[in-house]
Amino acid sequence: MSDRRSLLLLVGGAALTVYAVAFAGSYGHDVLTRAGIYAIAAIGYQLVFGRLGALSLAQGCFFGLGAYAAALTALDLGFGFPFTVIAGTALPVLLAALIAIPVLRLASHYFALATLGIAQLTLLAAINWTEVTGGANGLFGIPQISIAGLQIGFGLPLTAFVWTCVAVSLWISHRLTAGRRSLAVETLRAAPSAAAALGIDGAAIRFRFFLASAGFGGFAGALQAHAVGVVSPDVLSFHILVLLLAMTVIGGRDSPLGAVLGALLLVHLPEWFRDFADYYLVAYGAALLGAIIFLPNGLAGLLPERRTPRSEAKLPAPHPRRDAALSVEHVTKHFGGVAALDDVSISVAPGEIVGLIGPNGSGKTTLVNLISGIEKPGSGRIHFGNEDLTGRSPERIARTGIVRTFQHPQIAPGLTLGDSLEAVGPCDTEALLARVGLGERAGDLAGSLPPAAQKRLEIARALATGASLLALDEPAAGMNDIERADLAQLLKALAAEGHAILLVDHAMDFLLPLADRVVCLSAGRIVAEGTPKEIVQDPRAIRAYFGESPL
Amino acid sequence: MTSLALAQILLNGLALGAAYALIALGFVIVINAVGAVNFAQGELVMAGGFAAIAIAPLVGDAAGLPGLLLLPLVMLLMGGLGVGFAHLAYFPLRKRPRVAVFVSTIAIGLVLQHLANAVFGAAPRVGPPLIAGDGPVVGGLTLSLQQLGVLGSAALLVSATGLFLGRTQTGRRMRAVAQDPEMAAAIGIRPARMITLSFALAVALAGAAGLLLSNQFFVSPNDGGLFMLKAYIAVTIGGWGRLDGAVLGALLIGLFETLVAAFTSYLVAEALLYGVLLAMLAFRPSGLLPERARTRV
Repeated sequence: MSDRRSLLLLVGGAALTVYAVAFAGSYGHDVLTRAGIYAIAAIGYQLVFGRLGALSLAQGCFFGLGAYAAALTALDLGFGFPFTVIAGTALPVLLAALIAIPVLRLASHYFALATLGIAQLTLLAAINWTEVTGGANGLFGIPQISIAGLQIGFGLPLTAFVWTCVAVSLWISHRLTAGRRSLAVETLRAAPSAAAALGIDGAAIRFRFFLASAGFGGFAGALQAHAVGVVSPDVLSFHILVLLLAMTVIGGRDSPLGAVLGALLLVHLPEWFRDFADYYLVAYGAALLGAIIFLPNGLAGLLPERRTPRSEAKLPAPHPRRDAALSVEHVTKHFGGVAALDDVSISVAPGEIVGLIGPNGSGKTTLVNLISGIEKPGSGRIHFGNEDLTGRSPERIARTGIVRTFQHPQIAPGLTLGDSLEAVGPCDTEALLARVGLGERAGDLAGSLPPAAQKRLEIARALATGASLLALDEPAAGMNDIERADLAQLLKALAAEGHAILLVDHAMDFLLPLADRVVCLSAGRIVAEGTPKEIVQDPRAIRAYFGESPL
Repeated sequence: MTSLALAQILLNGLALGAAYALIALGFVIVINAVGAVNFAQGELVMAGGFAAIAIAPLVGDAAGLPGLLLLPLVMLLMGGLGVGFAHLAYFPLRKRPRVAVFVSTIAIGLVLQHLANAVFGAAPRVGPPLIAGDGPVVGGLTLSLQQLGVLGSAALLVSATGLFLGRTQTGRRMRAVAQDPEMAAAIGIRPARMITLSFALAVALAGAAGLLLSNQFFVSPNDGGLFMLKAYIAVTIGGWGRLDGAVLGALLIGLFETLVAAFTSYLVAEALLYGVLLAMLAFRPSGLLPERARTRV
């Protein structure tokens, strides 16, 4: 963290403390307490919405569930303070764990809907299961927090207690996202298919963050139940979710401190703008809209830059396995009624460059998708060395040493080139970037590169995983002649080191001199196979690919 | 329960479903145009209802068809609002992840809801009837003119939208932009214009639904969320991005809600609907209709 940023935070924290102790009256303390409670829930929300980029609409539900669980265990079971809050944290985490597996694999629009559906069901239950929840009236008489017989009274003591919890939450959130981990998470958010292809275990990260967000939400809700003494279905309403969303967006998507800033601001604003009465809420919506348009990184984005700590160890990329050859045996893939691939077999040995050609729609990218596990074959097997990869997840395939690049580069535009590589594993980023001709630009943002350079970044990133087989989908597209010649040099050198390379490309003048063997696909079938020389003379390849006129 | 009562319930359900169909159709048009969920669609329905109430004095009781005469006016007004909506919610964010647009629509929904609250108050207001007077009695079944009007207008608007998108040059251009904006731009279609038009159409349809529902179900500033949710569920049932699926899904939801509510309670109907939705997302996220073959590989 830069010194200016730390200094600013220190000053801010001190100012808040001075205000709380010396200037805030009892009402001021109440407002601060509320801000602290929402800050905790927002810190949790940030993990899912900010870090993973998934619009969960269940954070308000987790908050409300936590409040109800704490209230019910206190009132019906006679639990004391730490246990009520533990129950309030545990119930939403349990719910999150139950729904995580079906819900987390949904595409973003269905994830939002599924979490909204669960929130609506919970709200209906709270309103209508009257004998347990007290229905629309809710539950009241929830005791104040007391630790070891010592009651934490309203006012400054409660405010201090809640803000201590905020500090602990910040620390936990920091632990979850610190250092290299945050780079992997950012890659997962910005380029999910690339993350999987690079061996980043997205499912595990999503699961952990979703449960953590539920835990923070429930914990905050439980504190709220004790702080207010009353729990009604309002704690489950959509407004809570929108409030947390606004705090995260206005405060800052990826900075936990932003969530705290957002909470402080949004809880205090209505107090400052009381005179506007009804129109205050209109302004609140407008502020959310303004923030999402004009402050992509929220208020935290206005703070001085934060630097990601770089790993000290400069490990050279691991050497490729020379023993493992890829063999694809008789794979078939149908989409609807259309055969994208029909009984295709192909092999790539270590040190070999195999070119894959064919007209648009002939199944080249589908084959790469099958090899990298993004799609599963309908029939046939895929082996790498002795391992059977058929049906395995992209992450596991990547970890056996097969890494692909994409026709349209899949990068995290907000990471520097160095961080893009670091996200994959500790490695000598500068050396790898120099290899692909990007040595000078380690500190630039990946999003600032032209597309052709993004493709080279993808290759460097693949090498950072220590991949032994590279499946490159049109790596030379958009490159000029000099860049192409450099890329050809690089691929030759990689093959000489023992990398197996499967090269998909349209540019024959690029591919033919490089490839040891060429496979030609047409309409999902292999129509020709052989050395580049044989291929350019093969009438089937010429018909399928070059059209009627030979080269 | 007599068959007569059942027929009445089915008619109610069909009319409700037809109004939902307009909402869902607008919802899916935005999905196809820009790939984003419009969380404000429900508030736009509500806004259409209030727009109808606000301009109703202009028409008065004209010819006993106040609502029907208002319909084109409300749609025109809401279409204009849709143009503004596109420029606030979508265009500034078109280069950002889609979730940013989800959030901007939530924000605009919030503004509309609280604006309506501040201007019209929180109490439900009754909208103008489509057709004044009592309906005909057919075989002991009292056909409410209002419901027939809703059903007829919705059917007309759904078919008109379908014909517009399917058969006219402009409609085809809109679909071309939805499928592949770069290719569309390459053949001389201006994507921004077509996207604006999609938003205008979507919001006009939401406004029409607002007017159609405003008499029987009243208008209140806080209703938006539920309308949006119904459209969202309809599109999920029908298959993401399918116009025909959205209409079918909406009709099914309208019938389902009315039938279940008639035999049990509205609460059970709502809870069951969410339950069915979650089960569908878990087991058949592609929707009820058979999947179409993928054209691009």
